[in-house]
Amino acid sequence: MKKWYVSAIVTLVAMLILAGCGAKKSENTGIENAGSAAGNSSDATTYMFASDASYAPMEYMDKDELKGFDVDFLDEVMKQAGLKYELHNVAWDAMLESVKQGKEYQAGISSISITDDRKQTYDFSMPYFESTNVIMVKEDSDIKSATDLKGKKVAVQGGTTADILMTKIMGEGNTDLKKFDSNAVALLELDQGGADAVVADIAIVRDYVKNNPGKKLKSIADSTNFNSEYYGLAFPKGSELKAKLDPAIKAIIENGKYAEIYKKWFGEEPNTANLK
Amino acid sequence: MDFRFDIIWDYAPLLLRGTLYTIWISIASILLGSIFGLGVSLGKMSRYWFLRWPMQSYINFFRGTPLLVQIFIVHFGLIPLIYGKTNAIIAAVVALSLNSAAYSAEIYRAGILSIDKGQMEAAQSLGMTHFQAMRFIVLPQAIRRMIPAFGNEFIQLLKDSSLLALITVPEIMYWGNAMKNQYIRIWEPYMAAAVIYFILTYTLNKVLVAIERKVS
Repeated sequence: MKKWYVSAIVTLVAMLILAGCGAKKSENTGIENAGSAAGNSSDATTYMFASDASYAPMEYMDKDELKGFDVDFLDEVMKQAGLKYELHNVAWDAMLESVKQGKEYQAGISSISITDDRKQTYDFSMPYFESTNVIMVKEDSDIKSATDLKGKKVAVQGGTTADILMTKIMGEGNTDLKKFDSNAVALLELDQGGADAVVADIAIVRDYVKNNPGKKLKSIADSTNFNSEYYGLAFPKGSELKAKLDPAIKAIIENGKYAEIYKKWFGEEPNTANLK
Repeated sequence: MDFRFDIIWDYAPLLLRGTLYTIWISIASILLGSIFGLGVSLGKMSRYWFLRWPMQSYINFFRGTPLLVQIFIVHFGLIPLIYGKTNAIIAAVVALSLNSAAYSAEIYRAGILSIDKGQMEAAQSLGMTHFQAMRFIVLPQAIRRMIPAFGNEFIQLLKDSSLLALITVPEIMYWGNAMKNQYIRIWEPYMAAAVIYFILTYTLNKVLVAIERKVS
């Protein structure tokens, strides 16, 4: 019979639907930027950036839109460099692997702290953000510093520098240190009494304490145990993009654009003395 | 491709500890689940609607929603509600047992229904009560037929227990994730985990085949 006819139509319709979904998806999750006319226009490549948008206020999804400090910062950097780019929300694991391969995504920007272990696998941009970890506890807690956390149950997001620091303090393999997939779940664990404290980046903790006044939480800074750390853009090994973006990062720190974005998200002036 | 055995070696003791957690949580859950599941199953096959309906809803709920969602509900909802605060290990065993009970219930039902009705009638005509006939005539025969299905359920449960990493039960995937996060590398932790799970399920499969052979 005319089976080929039917199957051809079915295939065509299926392809159209898939194409439609594909197009819509990139519209929804991607941020596109044409780059400024001021930059060099010889580079017509559209660079693909990945971010795991689950780290408010650094990067997060507001409905279907990517927002946060990193998002604004990247936009300014790419304008400065005069490069076209797209930024997509990609789950952390997938982001790491695809950035490492450098085919689908040429860089990752996702509050990625620069560490020596990670430098073995990635190239990093110059540091663009100084952060430190702080401890969040319930208001009536007697915890005063990181050393008080020994013997307590502590929730962190696995793989963050909070995880690395607390592993050092509490000992490798200690199951009182609970490594969650996201800070949101670690905070929930504190809420439900499964942990005595959460250790996380200062921006995240401040944001959470501010947005949840009813939960009676406080944050504790501990500059003796928690050093400053620096976020960088992650590139695959040997990427050329680093040479293009480092000067742009430097430029927007010097011309005050960086401070503008910083103030927008954190309400205060940044200390850029250490970003070199 | 560069594959770094040194980082797997580094994490080997933790992965081993994780494996022990995976094993005992799976065993505890399959045992509790199959005990509880028998009750659910008998309830579902009951003559009385007030036993049948809740058990049917129970099965529908646990078979109809993702295990991961159930784990989160138990860990962040149910356990704090009962116990005052949450506890990952208790939540793990409770969530897996409740889930397994729903599947076990259907295995029991299929097994019991596979036994000819005449057996029950014959037993009752000999003066046995419904309970006695079930206990001494129907269940012993049915359970033999259920063994392969329970084997599948056990293997499924063992693999599903990897989801417990997300509520920080220190099992295999939990340490796999820790390894992944320390080095931000994908292949080594996931391949290591895959190999361990494979060894566990393969061994389990062998054991089950041996049991089946012995029983039949």
